[in-house]
Amino acid sequence: MANYKKISTRILVLGAVVIVAVGFWASRSSNTERNAVADDNVALADFRSTDIEAIQRGEYVMRTADCAACHTQGKNNMAGGYPLATPFGTLVSSNITPDRDTGIGQMTERDFFNAVRNGQGSKGFLYPAMPYTAYANLTDQDMHDLWAYMSTVTPVNHAIDENSAMAFPYNIRLAMLGWNMLFFDNKAFDGDADGADRGRYLVDAGGHCSVCHSPRNALGAEKSDHYLQGGQLGSWYAPDITSNPHVGIGDVSVEDLAEYLGTGTNGQATAAGPMAEAVEHSLQYMSEDDLMAIASYLKSVPASKTKAHTALDASLPSMKRGALAYEVNCAACHGVEGEGMGELAPALAGNHALQGEPNNAIRALMVGARAAATHTKLTGAGMPSFAWKMNDQQIKDVLDYVRNSWGNAAQPVTPEQIERIRVGMQARDKMIDGY
Amino acid sequence: MNRREALKSLSALIATGAVAASARASEMQGYPSNLAVADEFLPRPAMDGGKMHVLTDETALKTVTAVFDRLIPADDLGPSASEAGCIVFLDSQLADRFGQGAQLYREGPKLPGADELTQAPQFIATPRERYETGLKALEAYAQQTDGAAFADLQPDRQDEILQGMEEGSISLADDINTKAFFELMLQNVREGYFSDPIYGGNKDMVGWKLIGFPGARYDYRLYADRVGQKLDLESISLIPLD
Repeated sequence: MANYKKISTRILVLGAVVIVAVGFWASRSSNTERNAVADDNVALADFRSTDIEAIQRGEYVMRTADCAACHTQGKNNMAGGYPLATPFGTLVSSNITPDRDTGIGQMTERDFFNAVRNGQGSKGFLYPAMPYTAYANLTDQDMHDLWAYMSTVTPVNHAIDENSAMAFPYNIRLAMLGWNMLFFDNKAFDGDADGADRGRYLVDAGGHCSVCHSPRNALGAEKSDHYLQGGQLGSWYAPDITSNPHVGIGDVSVEDLAEYLGTGTNGQATAAGPMAEAVEHSLQYMSEDDLMAIASYLKSVPASKTKAHTALDASLPSMKRGALAYEVNCAACHGVEGEGMGELAPALAGNHALQGEPNNAIRALMVGARAAATHTKLTGAGMPSFAWKMNDQQIKDVLDYVRNSWGNAAQPVTPEQIERIRVGMQARDKMIDGY
Repeated sequence: MNRREALKSLSALIATGAVAASARASEMQGYPSNLAVADEFLPRPAMDGGKMHVLTDETALKTVTAVFDRLIPADDLGPSASEAGCIVFLDSQLADRFGQGAQLYREGPKLPGADELTQAPQFIATPRERYETGLKALEAYAQQTDGAAFADLQPDRQDEILQGMEEGSISLADDINTKAFFELMLQNVREGYFSDPIYGGNKDMVGWKLIGFPGARYDYRLYADRVGQKLDLESISLIPLD
């Protein structure tokens, strides 16, 4: 019954979306006129750029756009096959090597522009898991360079069925036309991408930061009025990266932020999970100037409304239990005053991400976490799992303690949040609870 | 080593090196993402709430309990060995790798004079088997000399027999190293009284509290400069109850 209801709701939603969309067929969302700057004659499989500088610039664009994160699975560069779990079903990334049969070898440069900037691919509309909503901002020059780079990628024959594991009606590509109508802001970047607005350009175009760091609505579109204020991403939470001084990056210096982005850690913020991938595949390849530009721009993003909390009273019995558990289990690496151990274990005192949404901290205690390993910081910090020796209450106690000590202040964690992650991550139960 | 052997071992070394290098390369592709501690590295707690796995014979259980409670009797310093869970601890150990002698070399031959040669008694039997035969022989000894079960003797008389075993003046049977059996029991009762409570003994950390041992802590930097002071650190189990 519930299933029937869900399906009929989906049909209604789809119906509404299609009807609205058809009415505005020629609307702005599907217009690809600005891609006329691209060549529409030579297919990628027949093209091999000889412009070394363009290829190198294109490789840099590929890094900043982090294409490899989704399109490289295993050792075949850009051959696709990476499964992305979405609330609407599992989507598999495409083969974007120049292979004629299974890749994008038959695309012209114009087709390529249409796909990357407008979400219109050779099989129909792309799903917005491919961040064309952000790539729409990529400049013509960056797109030409990216095309030059793509021509140098080795063709790999690897057939991908992208959307067969998507739930109805989301397995119908045409539905994305309606989605685009409602949510796709189809326009070029409105600033100086290589000058004054470089930071914003990197964040909003290639970097597609908001794809994870902005919350999404029920149809999977970013809430633009919550830009970069944090969003759930599978089992991880992409934290608030607005200039909010409590839970965002308002209190972090541009230099520290750039160090974090380029190396994976600044001794306090430490990239793990999908952000570690972003650092390893993309950010660590960026120039110092670009990283500083990103950091400066992020610090200018209007702060979220999240207010500072009042710290829990250290004399509470639960805080005392937390303090003892911290001393026994955590202090060896994270420091007796939460000062951390440089790049090997993040400082917890004054750690802003720790004081916001507790998802990642619970997750780290439950199943451990692995920080990014980069060319400059070779050893990614490793956080072991504590699921085997702490029950939900003990995890709550120690988290409430670290989130409310040494000047930190945050909302108490709820047992439901902990239970949800223990179950969701299939973490083991505490080995013995009473003997 | 002749030339052929030298070459063979060299090529073996190179082959090993190559394998090791490729194994390392694949490791470095990415760190292991699963940071849950692998089951084989987790502790193996005694979890059955006191249910016996090895000491299932009622007489043997009574005998070893009586022995343990003479070695660590209840007094004003704390509870007896069995009250502190040492029997549960022993049973759990005998049921697992310790009891199987998993770390011991137990292949023959055991030659006469081997004990003297190695300056320590050697056994083909596993600790589990030694408890089985030893407790049976101790009970038989008590029945023979006192006409009563060892567990039913007066504490003074029990002490007398145990002292005889320790000194070597009592031999329980020809094929039992009585002194070594006594030492095995003494070793195990101590282990039970002072091991982490998750292994069944040291209930409520009575052993640790008795000697002021702070337990499974990782880091003492907080206290490193408090030389000569009484710290009164709370004892902590590896898997704390709360």
